[in-house]
Amino acid sequence: MSTAEQVRAFRGMTRAGTRSVLIYRGDLITGAVTLVIQVVLAIAVWRIVYSGRGPVDGVDARTAVAYAAIAACLQSVLLPWQFSSLPMRIRNGQIATDLTRPLGLIWQVFGQNLGVLLGRLPLGAIGLAAAAILGALTLPPGWAAGLLSLVATVGGVLVAMLCNLIVSMVTFWTFEVSGPLIVYRFGSAFLSGSLIPLWFMPGWLRASVEWLPFQAQVYTPVSIYLGQTRGGQALALVGVQLVWVVLLTVLLELVWRRARYRVVVQGG
Amino acid sequence: MAVIEAAELVKEFSRPAVLEGRLPRLRALFSTKRDITRAVNGVNFEVEPGELVGYLGPNGAGKSTTIKMLTGILTPTSGVCRVAGLEPSRDRARNARNIGVVFGQRTQLWYDLPLRDSFEVLADLYNLDRTTYRNRVGLFTELLDLSDFLDTPVRSLSLGQRMRGDLVAAMLHEPSILFLDEPTVGLDVVAKARLTEFIAETNRSAGTTVVLTTHDMEDVERLCQRIIVIDSGTVLYDGDLSRLKERFMPYRFLVLTLAERSIRRVADIPFATEVETSAVGTVLPYPDRSVVLRFDPREITTPELIARVSQVYQVDELSIVDPRLTDVISKLYDGLLT
Repeated sequence: MSTAEQVRAFRGMTRAGTRSVLIYRGDLITGAVTLVIQVVLAIAVWRIVYSGRGPVDGVDARTAVAYAAIAACLQSVLLPWQFSSLPMRIRNGQIATDLTRPLGLIWQVFGQNLGVLLGRLPLGAIGLAAAAILGALTLPPGWAAGLLSLVATVGGVLVAMLCNLIVSMVTFWTFEVSGPLIVYRFGSAFLSGSLIPLWFMPGWLRASVEWLPFQAQVYTPVSIYLGQTRGGQALALVGVQLVWVVLLTVLLELVWRRARYRVVVQGG
Repeated sequence: MAVIEAAELVKEFSRPAVLEGRLPRLRALFSTKRDITRAVNGVNFEVEPGELVGYLGPNGAGKSTTIKMLTGILTPTSGVCRVAGLEPSRDRARNARNIGVVFGQRTQLWYDLPLRDSFEVLADLYNLDRTTYRNRVGLFTELLDLSDFLDTPVRSLSLGQRMRGDLVAAMLHEPSILFLDEPTVGLDVVAKARLTEFIAETNRSAGTTVVLTTHDMEDVERLCQRIIVIDSGTVLYDGDLSRLKERFMPYRFLVLTLAERSIRRVADIPFATEVETSAVGTVLPYPDRSVVLRFDPREITTPELIARVSQVYQVDELSIVDPRLTDVISKLYDGLLT
């Protein structure tokens, strides 16, 4: 298959993913309402925490509130509860039909996941709008930081997708992955900095989180956007994202190569 | 040149061993012992281009496992299979362009989306240009009568509608080889007839090679010239459908309705044996007045037998019935063939 054909096939999967999100209007509305409530609460809580206090650990009230709002929006687009149908498809044997398609399984899943993500972008926009109305959004310190935070968002999306996919792949061995997935999701929500900014974590925890791929997902783009991480330090964080993308891609390839020989189609 | 080849094809599955003794399930959690089952055990066959082959066998015979190796889903444990010159499990993506697959038990359509959307995604996956895509969807919509539910989400389709959609999905890229794994399972008579007619037509007009697995012997009789029967992972029979009947059920039935209502049995007719009416297996016009004779056409020709019977009895109606494939196959499965 030529590259152009691959790209078209990938786009087809993306479109299917986006459409399968947009077709459930009720689900989207619920998601939007939930996110708005989450954003409003986060803003309220952080404002109370900061009321009458100056900067904590060098972070002022405005930044902390904006961080909470943006991180909640990013998280809701990036890590929906049902991110990928892969574990379910392995469990019920649906994977068989995926494997008879001319596009590799990994690209199919990526295409679909990217589509889901694009379909959920309006949610994130609604969340951000709510934050803006409440006056919780700030602008990045400069256009360079704004641009870099966009790049970092793309990097964060890639790292999140790779992590999700690798965890999903475990189903090929265990056939049951909901336990690990729940641990993974809660863990990543905490360790990526979407619940609590990494600034406020104790030194030892912060140090270990820096060695994990999670901070690249949410903390990196948001802290660059808010100007909390600047200049060379910001570039270094984006570099770390790049390293994670490479490492995780290699890991995924290794896992998938072994999984291919483990494919056992359930039933029928 | 054969378009599908299987040579000494073997597939083993292993699963955690079932332990015996105390607390077997608890100990099984910590055990690394595994049981190995051979689902396919040295299967050999070749299929020529344009053939329509029935691949038959009882549940668990290894049919689906073979199909899954030929479609590249499973990697053979040993042996080789080739489909249009490619090794499916090594060359999965390229193989996918040559073949179309329908698994009756599951769907390849996008569950949440309207049927039409699935076709559009497949057009992208197989890189069909707009005109070709539109023409084919138009043609299939007409042939399989899809227009009523083209915009219905797949999850709300009936089984028959979904299966028609799946068949189109498998054929949108005009594959030269079709694998149909129980495509008529659970369908009503009308839906089944429509589907089998469509499969036969595709095979006839486009010369598409079709491998069909089914438990429905009517489908087989309607569609297949050649059948391959497997059981316990090995081939039991490979050849003509008619030859199979000749070999394992070499007789036919003569069903008589006699004018003399009181006569329920007939006197000895040479080369014919009177059997229970249930042996015919089909519904008889006058069950309580019918007499069934079984005969071997190699011993006595049908006209000759009819002549002899009419010499002795006044016959109202008569018909010739061939043994049903179901009976032949169940005889095969039961291992009565030896």
